[in-house]
Amino acid sequence: MKGKKFKIILGFLLVAIVSLAISIYYYNKPDVNVVKTDAAYVLTAKNLIEEYQADETSTNKKYTEKVIQVNGMVHEITTLKGNSVITIRNADQESSIICHMLPNQRQKALQLVKGQKISVKGVCTGYLLDVIMVRCILVE
Amino acid sequence: MKGFYFILISAFLAQNLNAQDKYLTKEGFISFFSHSIVEDIKADNNQVLSVLDTQTGKIAIQLLMRSFMFKKTLMREHFNENYVESYKYPKATFSGEIKNFDELNEEQTETEIIGILTVHGKEKEISTKVIVNVSESEIILTGDFKVDIADFNIKIPAIVANNIAKTIKVSFELHHKPYK
Repeated sequence: MKGKKFKIILGFLLVAIVSLAISIYYYNKPDVNVVKTDAAYVLTAKNLIEEYQADETSTNKKYTEKVIQVNGMVHEITTLKGNSVITIRNADQESSIICHMLPNQRQKALQLVKGQKISVKGVCTGYLLDVIMVRCILVE
Repeated sequence: MKGFYFILISAFLAQNLNAQDKYLTKEGFISFFSHSIVEDIKADNNQVLSVLDTQTGKIAIQLLMRSFMFKKTLMREHFNENYVESYKYPKATFSGEIKNFDELNEEQTETEIIGILTVHGKEKEISTKVIVNVSESEIILTGDFKVDIADFNIKIPAIVANNIAKTIKVSFELHHKPYK
């Protein structure tokens, strides 16, 4: 009898520990790793902006919260709260792609020059006057 | 609604393009803070778009809900998917006016800002204090105000009701630069 009771208690304990571990894991779930994640879409700045301007709602559904890679020309490099912000813009467009870079990209970002062709991978959060991307990295 | 705000902001920018009375930022800061006995939740947005007309004191602000960064990924996911439903309402907007804007010439003045805040597809009139800092190169607006989440039809499940405050503090810091 004693052995049976012990096994039941042990079983309960095990279930409790496993569920606690799972919930702690989910609670502390890390953000998507932009470096390791392959881009769901690779496209040019021009095409991305044209897609947004043609149909914002469906383009939002397609790209937001996804890791995408955008190719285009550097228009401006600024610093915001210690992190680099790279603006990619096509000469014939009013809108740009504003890329908020991850902190470890600062050195690389500062070496860029206006007009240089670059590829940036990051998470798209949507479109205001420009397409906004966060947690970006430069792709070689 | 979305079309309306697009037109509003476009009109804002298109008006007297030569006149140097439009100030703009695309890197404004807005954060919100929820305090409860269980946990504190804070989220920052550094990608706020704000356009200020210095002739009239009118201001139009837009932000993307998905640009809010939380300490924990799970919080961000719940916020976007369950509470503010960012797939349906990707933006929050504010359209209003700074009182007595033409009289502000000192470096740092406190005045009032009144306008309509739209979050989760619901509109609410907001009136709050704002500190306006005018310098040659920048117009900085800072302040904070409180909103009730119930006003925006945001439903919080009973199971996490104790984790999220009924009233949320919103802080803003917008550094406008002359629009070129």
